[in-house]
Amino acid sequence: MNLLPFVAAGIGLGSVYALAGVGLVVLYRSSGTLNFAFGALGAIGAYCTWSILQVGIPPAIAWAAGIAVATALSFAYGWLIAPLLRHRDRAVRAIGTLGFALFILGCTGLIWGEAVPRRLTLPTDKMYAMIFSVRVTYTRLLALLLALGMVGAIALLLARTRLGLSMRALAADRNISSLIGIRVVRVDAIAWLVSGVFAGVAGLLLADLVALNATFLTFLVIPAIAAAIFGRLQSLAATALGGLVAGITEAVLIAVPVGSFYRSAAPFVLALLFITLFGGRRTAVLHE
Amino acid sequence: MRRLASFLAAALSLAMVALATAPASAKPDCGLNNGKPATGEPIPIGSINGITGPDDFSASARAADAYFKCVNANGGINGRPIKYLIVDDQWRPDVASQVATKLVKDDKVVAMIGSNSIVECLANAGLYERENVMVIDIGVVHECFTSKNIVPFNQGPRLSGVGMLRYAADHLGTKKVACVAWNLPGVVDWLCGGFAAWGKKHGVTVQNVIIDPSSSDYTSAMLQAAALKPDTILLTFTKGGHIQSLAAAEEQDMGSKYKFVSLASGYVVGLPETIGKYWDGKFWTQLEFTPLDGTGPDNKNWLEIMDAYGNKSDPRDTFSQGGYLAAKVATQVLLKLDPAKIDRATVSDALRAVRDVRSDMMCGPWYIGNGKRHNANHAGMVAVASKGGWAPKGNCFEIDDPELDDIIAAEKAGAK
Repeated sequence: MNLLPFVAAGIGLGSVYALAGVGLVVLYRSSGTLNFAFGALGAIGAYCTWSILQVGIPPAIAWAAGIAVATALSFAYGWLIAPLLRHRDRAVRAIGTLGFALFILGCTGLIWGEAVPRRLTLPTDKMYAMIFSVRVTYTRLLALLLALGMVGAIALLLARTRLGLSMRALAADRNISSLIGIRVVRVDAIAWLVSGVFAGVAGLLLADLVALNATFLTFLVIPAIAAAIFGRLQSLAATALGGLVAGITEAVLIAVPVGSFYRSAAPFVLALLFITLFGGRRTAVLHE
Repeated sequence: MRRLASFLAAALSLAMVALATAPASAKPDCGLNNGKPATGEPIPIGSINGITGPDDFSASARAADAYFKCVNANGGINGRPIKYLIVDDQWRPDVASQVATKLVKDDKVVAMIGSNSIVECLANAGLYERENVMVIDIGVVHECFTSKNIVPFNQGPRLSGVGMLRYAADHLGTKKVACVAWNLPGVVDWLCGGFAAWGKKHGVTVQNVIIDPSSSDYTSAMLQAAALKPDTILLTFTKGGHIQSLAAAEEQDMGSKYKFVSLASGYVVGLPETIGKYWDGKFWTQLEFTPLDGTGPDNKNWLEIMDAYGNKSDPRDTFSQGGYLAAKVATQVLLKLDPAKIDRATVSDALRAVRDVRSDMMCGPWYIGNGKRHNANHAGMVAVASKGGWAPKGNCFEIDDPELDDIIAAEKAGAK
């Protein structure tokens, strides 16, 4: 069987994982918190966009509003809730975001539910590139570009700006950061704000590519964790690459008779193999 | 913090107000029709549904709820209101089992009406038999069609799929089918396996493409289906899976090369609009009941009850039709009983005696009876996506699934 079409399909899926994975790590790099609410924030933004589109408001405004909602909620968490957990360890802070994700999931369920069929489409769905005789839409390529764009933007922010320096300090050690005069709550809230913008944009793309379904989008962070492990929760570039590899592996497995039943486990199996083979001391960050 | 909490509380209250009951547009027909609210001792009836999870399966319960509200506002069951308890199993068998035990043992429900769940039948069939609880549900998995105490009002996905293939073979020239299904217990063998068994008898080849329900990759599934070189692709998902797979197929422009057909789970109002104009005349679905916009008295009454007693956001779909019919039959049965003697034993006996239920919402008569299993609804129709809606095609026809042999034999012996 010709596997190349599945590789092309995997690039599309990999772009989804890469985007979700980078979203997960972006806040970790800038404030030391693993953000499990990334998918849920994106989902609620996408639902708002859908609702606004239903009343006939121009798409650009609807997209902006969706991104604004995700950003505002993310900022609100970073400003109001995250400081309450500031002295707790990383695992507790990560679990806090999981609670936030479930809260948002509950709200979307209450407001929108899943009873009505919904789909969010973007103009880029109609444009495509042919890769190995498979159509890969511009939306998928856009997702990949956005993941890479996020990698570049965050790398620049962290390396080249004073704010980035404060964020790196915060991610490394909160107590020392506050002792040397970094305004911890403010920097943290900005990191959440930036993460919220990314979540909003990613939410629109993922709702288009995967499904406008809050549960699906919220729990997309689970395969994204596998991608993040490739980047050892540190390297955004390796996370994006890990997402791509996981996506391609999962897509190709459908053509393998037994593999097709277990293919959604592929990202995790790959991540485990990666830790086992290349983990060593550098995976210590995972245990912090 | 307090401000955020008040803001969220206000937003949620607003959303709930928006979801509140719509005003009545016509006086619907239900129960005693006397306009007097029932005030006696409530009669507990349960319903277990997959509400939160991959999809919301509560449409049937919402319709039954609207019907029972109408009954309660119109004299109830000879003065006693129905206390309708809808619970969510979260698509988890352990939760389904817990909530069923609570409904049966603590709430002491007299029957289960309008349930619809992927996991409930398998988890609770034994409990219902042991405790003599009759269930009138919308069956979506094999186990809903193999129990003495579970009586589906719908055909179920197996008959629905066979019906769709029968029409496709007769009218769309289908000879080779790719059956695309989720890897769920009872789905692959019972559905795709059943279609293959039917196909063998009718010169139609059926091959499978099985995908993990948690996968977000429908493009590969569609490519895999295309690699089998079929002329027809049969989708066996719920509406969420249909939307995802059709979007992936549209991306690859597969609609112009293959016929896309689905089980009745595709027959959802708003689905043609959601999937877009691309699928006009290209996406076919089977109907377990008659068309949603039917003008017969029962169908009109269902829609009027939904408008008067349901929420505006409640789906008016095929499952909703089934929930309405289930609630209507249950109400008619309860009304014939002495209100002082309504308990599980009397209700179960009375339900088992139900025969020859006819409605303009069904292609044939429906019954319960004493059979070891139930599948009374076995005639249907088809429709095709057209201009943002569904266009019914042809008339009702009987479905000739070999699995029905025992049911047909029992009917010939007088089970109807």
